[in-house]
Amino acid sequence: MVLLDNDVVRQDWKKAKAIVTDTVAKYGGSLESCRRWDERRLAYPMKRKNRATFYLAYHDMPGDMIPGFLRDLELNESVLRYLMVRVDETPEDERKLAAEEDGAEYSVPEPPDDDLIEVPEEAETDPLMDIDIPVDIPAEASATAPEPAREG
Amino acid sequence: MKRRVKTMIGSKNCDDPIIDYKSTEYLEKFLTPQGQILSRRRSGFCTQCQKQLKSAIKRARHVGLLPFVG
Repeated sequence: MVLLDNDVVRQDWKKAKAIVTDTVAKYGGSLESCRRWDERRLAYPMKRKNRATFYLAYHDMPGDMIPGFLRDLELNESVLRYLMVRVDETPEDERKLAAEEDGAEYSVPEPPDDDLIEVPEEAETDPLMDIDIPVDIPAEASATAPEPAREG
Repeated sequence: MKRRVKTMIGSKNCDDPIIDYKSTEYLEKFLTPQGQILSRRRSGFCTQCQKQLKSAIKRARHVGLLPFVG
């Protein structure tokens, strides 16, 4: 399962799909089925995104190619996250659903109004740097400053 | 006197459980409101099924289908 960035999917669905299919082909894998599983809200933000398109692919790949394949997915900025799980065989339902969806156009719907929760961006500058700290303390100010009361 | 266990959610399903990381609605039944996995005593699963449940929930958390914390 690969989580794709919705912005990329909105631009071009085939291009977004090719991120996974091309990477599998690059590392000598054979795709058995691949389809869009769902587009939904994430339980927690990933790379400042609240929603993602879930792409489910079943493929066969030589074991020594898998680290390179995972590394490619890791480096791709359009991939929010991935999960690779070993399965015994591809489910028949998946093959049917993938065949139905193959070649079909898809566009990601706009997120609902109640879903537009912005993730706070990280501060570019250190907030402590904006505070003006006087470097030179004037002599008058130091002379007029009240001395702390001594007890006892 | 023995204490009675309050909930045994999974005991009916333990014969043929459908534990998959994509079936989030089913997995949510075995989480506390804080997002913790229920113990075997409360879920009612056998050892093997509880292990499957644990890995399925952790996979679902990894891909953002379930929260780590409620």
